[in-house]
Amino acid sequence: MGSRQITEKSLAMLRSLPRISIGNLRDNPGHKKNSKRGRGQHGGDKHGAGNKGSGQRMNYMRLGYETGNNPFYLRMPQEHYYRGHHFRRQYPPLSLQQVQLLIDKNRLDISKPVDIASIVKSGLYNFFPDQKHFGVNLTDEGVDNFAAKINIEVQWASEQVIAAIERNGGVITTAYYDPHSLFLLKDPKQFFENGQSIPRRMIPPPDAIEYYTSAKNRGYLADPEEISQDRLRLAQKYGYELPKLENDPSYEMLCERKDPRQIFYGLDPGWVINLKDQCILKPKDEELVRFFAS
Amino acid sequence: MASLLINALRKIHISTPQIRSSFLSSSAVCSNTLTITKKDWKYPPQYTKPREVWIENVDTVEEKKLGLFELHPLVYAATPRIDIIQRNVIWQRKFRWVSWAHTKTRAEVRGGGKKPWPQKGQGRARHGSIRSPLFRGGGVAHGPRSGKTHFYMLPFHLRIHGLTSTLSAKLAQDDLHVVKDLELPSDEPEYLIDLIESRNWGPSVLIVDDTDYAPRNLTVASDSLPHVNIMPVYGLNVYSMLKHDTLILTQSAAEKIEERILHYLHSDTKKQQAQFKLDQV
Repeated sequence: MGSRQITEKSLAMLRSLPRISIGNLRDNPGHKKNSKRGRGQHGGDKHGAGNKGSGQRMNYMRLGYETGNNPFYLRMPQEHYYRGHHFRRQYPPLSLQQVQLLIDKNRLDISKPVDIASIVKSGLYNFFPDQKHFGVNLTDEGVDNFAAKINIEVQWASEQVIAAIERNGGVITTAYYDPHSLFLLKDPKQFFENGQSIPRRMIPPPDAIEYYTSAKNRGYLADPEEISQDRLRLAQKYGYELPKLENDPSYEMLCERKDPRQIFYGLDPGWVINLKDQCILKPKDEELVRFFAS
Repeated sequence: MASLLINALRKIHISTPQIRSSFLSSSAVCSNTLTITKKDWKYPPQYTKPREVWIENVDTVEEKKLGLFELHPLVYAATPRIDIIQRNVIWQRKFRWVSWAHTKTRAEVRGGGKKPWPQKGQGRARHGSIRSPLFRGGGVAHGPRSGKTHFYMLPFHLRIHGLTSTLSAKLAQDDLHVVKDLELPSDEPEYLIDLIESRNWGPSVLIVDDTDYAPRNLTVASDSLPHVNIMPVYGLNVYSMLKHDTLILTQSAAEKIEERILHYLHSDTKKQQAQFKLDQV
């Protein structure tokens, strides 16, 4: 609704115009592009193909061919930056700036722990587990403007990002999810609707274990004792005073972590979520209980 | 046409839209049987006033106004985009249309295997088959082949805007009426014809209710009237609204339409906007 009140004017105009019906509709003028090319003396010229040659005959040279020169792609020595890229784990980036934006626009509830499920639910981040995407890489863009106290769980984070979050009294954890768990986290409703029990989260593959057991990266498998020491170390390195977690009013929320085998906050592996009857079915059989507890 | 437009322009009197003050909340004021409903929407209108309509009755032929009812301007007073309405109509015609027109190619027409005459020496044009498209009784080149679908999906928000445009246009042209319920006193078609006649509805009327079933009197009365049709709220579409002269909504149907459209106007519709896939249901 602009200042010219176009909606009001057009609705008022409609009052005295004939009734809109199927018979008197039309699209905007010029909406239809003629798919036929012109023929004849003046209509049919070159039709965008230019005069003679490969443009008209569509016998283009192959890509990279330099009419007999040693082409560029052969002239340069090979450098294998991307060798095996289709086997590597990818972490689509999300910047601190974007996280701050999500919080400011009230798309992210920070009174609860934030994980990849809530980030995806905000609608401004997307990833594809079937394309080797293994979750969020929280990047340091907007690190100076970040001012929220959050308990966030991401899959990859740099030292600056960890420092920025801990400076504000927040907590960050890096956690590994296998692709199947990521599918569940991306669209929990779709999974709950098909009536299967929540599986266990898998442990990280051998080449990721080092990252996720290191206190430096705030890995979810690291020793909590070492993590608290490293929090102090990082505060000294970046020169800020570490806010005391114990004195925080939201201490409970900040200390909440998922179990290494758990996928959703508050839901244990083995449970079945019945959306229709709004209830949770828990396994009672001892063998099942033992299986999901391990 | 030009004089019509000039007339229309002359008649425009626009009152400045006031921002709805926040103290209005959901409350029904009853003063000698006239209910005035102020609504408390989940997404209240920010810059435009809600539209007010009368709630009418259908249990007598004479019109009785039972109350005043507020409609959300984002749904019932949206910009009436004729082009978007048109695109919706075209889409509704096309997406279910399968063209069964069929012609035979030169391979499918019977005969024509033998070379009709030798290549050279006859003084005649060279031909390889009497069923070539050049021959009378031959196959058709580039003719229609049966089972051609014209299916496509109109983008989600064009479908939403088509609905709001049509509803707004109907309301602006006094072709949308809200009734309290659909309880008729008799199942005679004459009663329904009289009702439509005296209210200056129609002649063709589309009745939309919130429920899957309509009252028996209404279904029996409208059974023999091909121009009076009943539809549940989830079946509401642009084509049917335009096909009928007048649109009758029950109070609950009007609210339901408003609720559904407002929901989609204010939520993340990434999924609905994604490219249509056959097995997405």
